[in-house]
Amino acid sequence: MRRLAGALILCVAASPALAHDVEGTGGFLAGLAHPVLGLDHVVAMVAVGLWGAFLGPPAIVLLPIVFPLVMAFGGVLGILGLPLPATEIGIAVSAIVLGLMVLGAARPPIWAAALLVGTFAIFHGYAHGRELPDDANAVAFAAGFVIATGLLHLAGIAFGLLTRWPAGRIAVRTAGAGIALVGVGYLGGML
Amino acid sequence: MSAFVRGLMDFVLPTHLLAIVALGLLAGQHAARFPLLALAELAAGLLVGSFAIAMGLGENPAATALLALAGACAAGVIAAWPIPMPIIGLLGFAIGIALALNAPPKEITRASALAAQAGLAVAALVAFAVVAAIVMRTTHAWQRIGVRIIAAWIAASAILVLALRWVTALRA
Repeated sequence: MRRLAGALILCVAASPALAHDVEGTGGFLAGLAHPVLGLDHVVAMVAVGLWGAFLGPPAIVLLPIVFPLVMAFGGVLGILGLPLPATEIGIAVSAIVLGLMVLGAARPPIWAAALLVGTFAIFHGYAHGRELPDDANAVAFAAGFVIATGLLHLAGIAFGLLTRWPAGRIAVRTAGAGIALVGVGYLGGML
Repeated sequence: MSAFVRGLMDFVLPTHLLAIVALGLLAGQHAARFPLLALAELAAGLLVGSFAIAMGLGENPAATALLALAGACAAGVIAAWPIPMPIIGLLGFAIGIALALNAPPKEITRASALAAQAGLAVAALVAFAVVAAIVMRTTHAWQRIGVRIIAAWIAASAILVLALRWVTALRA
């Protein structure tokens, strides 16, 4: 009994492996988990969805289609090993900028929003592309992380639908502030 | 496990699923009635591919071809341009060949090899028919957008893995 209690305490006390690193593990589930294990990726993807809700149609439907394709382009750059300076900084900045856009309920022209989101998609795709496993599970891994990214967008859009109500707008804009703060935390090396 | 069931299981590979789902999305998006022509062309392709396997065709780039075809079908869905059904049928024929070539039976006897290929073909045809039938029944705008979002995911996955294979081949 004492051993069991000790084992349970060890299990609870052990810090979970939350590093954004599943290199070489491959597989659909690993791919699915990949974007979710990096908070900077998660908040930026959710922010894209939240902002889409503020922007309304056609952005709300265009972003989840365009983002994975541009992200794939970034991923190809990463696979090719082409240098993309300050990738991690770019990802942190994406969280800050997109968070601020949500906080400010910004409604720039659709081309400007697409350009901004597309630029950040390249950074996110590049980071994923660098970590794509070079084995038979590459297809499953790629499908997993693309789907996870898309589901994070859809989660953001779903939460963003709260903007129909005044209290919901406040909640969504507060979430934008939180996302920007997470970005600041990554940029400052605090997260 | 029987050879037929092993054939069914051979279908459940990410590359196969991407290609068949992409083809189903494309056919369903463009069909007013159930796309029998695409289904028949897919079946014909599977038959031709199985025949090539039986003739002893060895190493082949079927997996890469499947990814490229999946990407092409997904691009067609995303663009939502009117694509004539014979062209979708041709894509189905090519996917059928590549699918059969990418899953050569590991059976020893001719009968069990045939059963395995039959299992693969049944799984592919049923999966295609189900996806196409579901997409055909999408009436709301958000459902049509959902179809294009799934196609974007397929295209992105195919692009990434094709790039990876290309780079790996260059480095080898």
